[in-house]
Amino acid sequence: MTAEAGVGHRTSGRRQLASQIEAGRAGPARTLIALILTAVFIYPIYLVVLNAFKTQDAIYRYPGLPTLSLTWRNFVDVLTRPDGLFWTGLINSVQITVVGTLLSTVLAAMMAHYIVRSTGWFAKMLWVVIPLGVMIPPATTLLPLLRMMRDLGLIGSVFGLIVLYVAGSLPFGVLVFTGFMRTIPKELEEAAAMDGAGPVRTFWSIVFPLLRPAGASVVIFIAVGLWNDFITPLIILGPANGSTITVGMYRQISEHVSNYGAVFAYMVLATIPILVLFIFMQKHFVKGLLGGATKG
Amino acid sequence: MQMQNKYRLAPRNPLHVLLFAVPGAVLYAVFVLWPLLLALWSSFTDEDAYRLTTSFVGFDNYGRLFTDPAYLQTLRNTVILALICIVVPNALGLGIAVLLDRAGWAFNVMRAVFFIPVILSSVVVAVIWQQMLKDDGLINASLRAFGVADPPGWLSDPSLALYSVGWITAWQAVGTCVVLYLAGLQSIPKELLEAASIDGAGPVRRFRAVTWPLLAPSVTIMTVLSMIGGFKIYDQVKVMTNGGPGVGTTSTLAFDVVRTGIDAGAVGYGAAKAAAMFFMIAAISLLAIRVMRRREVDL
Amino acid sequence: MRTRRRTKQFVLAATVAAWALALTGCTAGVAEPSGSGDEVSLTFLVSETPNLTAQYWDDAIARASEKVPGVTIKKVVGENTPAYAQQLFASGQAPDIFATGIANGLAQKGMLAEYTRDEMEKAGVTDFTSGTINGKFYGVAVGAQAIPLVYYNKDLFTKAGISDAPKTYAELLDDCAKLKAAGITPFEIGGGGKDTWATNFALASAVAADVLTVDPGWFLKRAKGEVKFSDRVFVGAAKKVQDLTQNGYGDKAAMTRSYADLEQAFLGGKAAMYPMGSWFAAAADKAKLTNIGVFGWPSDAGKSAVPTVSGSGMNVNAKSKNVELAKKWSLAFATDKQNRDLGVITDGDIVTVKDYEIPGNVGAVYKETVKAYDAALAAGATVPAWANITGDGALPPGFSDLMTAANVDLLTGKKTPAQFAQYLDQKYAAAQK
Repeated sequence: MTAEAGVGHRTSGRRQLASQIEAGRAGPARTLIALILTAVFIYPIYLVVLNAFKTQDAIYRYPGLPTLSLTWRNFVDVLTRPDGLFWTGLINSVQITVVGTLLSTVLAAMMAHYIVRSTGWFAKMLWVVIPLGVMIPPATTLLPLLRMMRDLGLIGSVFGLIVLYVAGSLPFGVLVFTGFMRTIPKELEEAAAMDGAGPVRTFWSIVFPLLRPAGASVVIFIAVGLWNDFITPLIILGPANGSTITVGMYRQISEHVSNYGAVFAYMVLATIPILVLFIFMQKHFVKGLLGGATKG
Repeated sequence: MQMQNKYRLAPRNPLHVLLFAVPGAVLYAVFVLWPLLLALWSSFTDEDAYRLTTSFVGFDNYGRLFTDPAYLQTLRNTVILALICIVVPNALGLGIAVLLDRAGWAFNVMRAVFFIPVILSSVVVAVIWQQMLKDDGLINASLRAFGVADPPGWLSDPSLALYSVGWITAWQAVGTCVVLYLAGLQSIPKELLEAASIDGAGPVRRFRAVTWPLLAPSVTIMTVLSMIGGFKIYDQVKVMTNGGPGVGTTSTLAFDVVRTGIDAGAVGYGAAKAAAMFFMIAAISLLAIRVMRRREVDL
Repeated sequence: MRTRRRTKQFVLAATVAAWALALTGCTAGVAEPSGSGDEVSLTFLVSETPNLTAQYWDDAIARASEKVPGVTIKKVVGENTPAYAQQLFASGQAPDIFATGIANGLAQKGMLAEYTRDEMEKAGVTDFTSGTINGKFYGVAVGAQAIPLVYYNKDLFTKAGISDAPKTYAELLDDCAKLKAAGITPFEIGGGGKDTWATNFALASAVAADVLTVDPGWFLKRAKGEVKFSDRVFVGAAKKVQDLTQNGYGDKAAMTRSYADLEQAFLGGKAAMYPMGSWFAAAADKAKLTNIGVFGWPSDAGKSAVPTVSGSGMNVNAKSKNVELAKKWSLAFATDKQNRDLGVITDGDIVTVKDYEIPGNVGAVYKETVKAYDAALAAGATVPAWANITGDGALPPGFSDLMTAANVDLLTGKKTPAQFAQYLDQKYAAAQK
């Protein structure tokens, strides 16, 4: 199957998507079952949000029920902690997630382009070696990494953490982008090259925009991964420079106190930024998954 | 000559390698591959954080590994978890995707709702479910209210705890499967389904004959990803059970690596466990990818 | 048109990236040795808890720094476990001073600075037995703890018709039976997930009473291999613990509780007895409870176990820029009267600094705890808190985790006491370096 034929099939499939959604209407029975199932599924999350607004006493007495006296107290507690646990974590996490996600997405897209378009040995080697990265569990390389970062003077720094993340997220991005990139016809780029555009300009003006749906799912997955990562920042960032938002959450939890209200409030606050990102990118994201899934 | 230059494709331009492949490759080699090699190296030593001397011991650590009953139990736990992570989210995800494959704002919202757990930190998920599953937690409180005198110890019963950990990991992964399968379902040309209808196929048969084969690539991808995810489980175990109740009942490969190499300071032995884990994941993934590629050819 | 929009997007993204990178520059980098002129800047690792808040540490640091001129202390916040300290050393992030004792394992490798007895005596330290490593001092012992004592709910005892705390183990079992007959859960023993360590206190008590009141040096002998866990005396203690839960004397829901919930359960009267470290006194006093008493776990012969340990914190990094100054500051910090007062109120510390006087506003449970400790001390009846000591005779690194897991098997009946002891022997040998 040639690349062009693949694209033909894909685009018709995507066009189908819109009409399909228009077509299928749900009957009342299906709607009811779906609603009940969704409610059961999401109940634990509902519980967290609910309890974040309740007093400690109310959480203990009626853990599963809404009470009359809802309070902002827990949120105020988290946001005004004297050590600024939440705020320093937020600043660090935003930096790490934004910079790390952008850099690794761009690098992965560029490398995928090279792997798909080049026929040289280097491209072939990369295509064998890079996917290995998805299989490396973080726990396995933590200790050597720790020493290496120390020797490079990158330990305890947000910058060092970002470098690690960019390298570590690369394999996932490359995997998704190569699958997607193979469906983009070469002819588009050849035309641009004929007009005298260099590889960089061709890539930015022709290829990169076409990657957008896949890019959205790469961005979401990498951003969620970096935002939620726990063990790497716990160890690489060390104690000296504060923490990330997720490590901060662990500290909030691991304290020997039963202030569940504050823990739940912290969870809600820590999830809002990534939730907002998801909502904004949701449309592209689904399309990207579709592309990656049907084409491997 | 000049004409040919102009026609030259980006890939053959030396700038292409330098700008597109080299930066990423260097970062990857230094920060991903090199630490892996270092870990591999230290798996052949008896390095220990609490001792001054380190010597080369060859394959001793590996030999010890597969005669260690605790390690074999950990391996068994991990395989069970990986199986749960493959079967439950995929089955549930497919079912829910078929259920939610309808138009309307309510269905849009429900689709998004199923995805929320995916974007949560696994630490959060573990803490939430711990509240639900503990012996006097919400689930058992409700069971008691319905007259179950002695509800199960979801996290305290050694024969149940592993499955509880598997369940919460699966719960978090369902959303990804739902989104993926929905996308797959919606990409199935309606004509095919209509044609099958005209041929007199009922909903079940339509699903088996048309929908399922077209979804197959999605299913294989999700299977591989779920399996790798299942093999890597760490956070949930750390927070919910700490490897217990009792000795090693929910200990996983990743949990064991951290406990051995970092907590107990047995760097060399821990590295051997880490390396063994990596090779297992790599071997199974490669196998799965081969199967996947073969299937795609069939399409 | 399309291209221009893309360019705009790209510029936007680049700006965001540049901005974030600039911010990164501001916060990146390990603590810089600032300090102008003669000022030496030292880092001090503390862990903040609801008891020991950020404000507490800042104030306490300021008071000590007042007494030791020429030092600027930079507080860094992290976990206070030996494993974490180990990581910090491995990654070159080790601070100059550690607030909580992490010496075992690190001191032997020469990574920590030694205190002389002379400088400790001058500072007012009176406890020279706790936390020594090969007989040398690497930490400052100023606050003793009894781990564990048995706290009990006097109201529930009365309800079951029990007038006094048990003096012998037979009496303890008798009381358990009476409590159970009255519909009261005798013991709060549990802890799940990351708080599984809390399940150890019953075992710690029974072993202290049956093994250590007879031979306080038992664990030193264990380290040398002269005795074993599978010896009859240790197995006997393990059996007592198992029998308690097998007879239904434990709180059934406790095994999955977090430590905080465990404490709440006992404070709320869900069980009559709670084997716990003396820091529990602070929690009970904070809850303004007046119905809590305390006793040492009794042996068959009627000896009561008061296992003690002094937190020998304030460990100094041997590679500190100025070891002498770091030690001097650490001693000043450790012996500061107000710092110790706060330790008393918030953590139930039993202060051993020379001429120290307990503040007037301490609670009833704290007073009872100190009374039990003083009585045991006067009678020469204290034993080492074997599961918690950090110096000579301490359990080897990594062993505690394994013991905790095996102890759950003991409590649930999955391992017999003999199997449990055998498992411990095996793991102990593996963990010894």
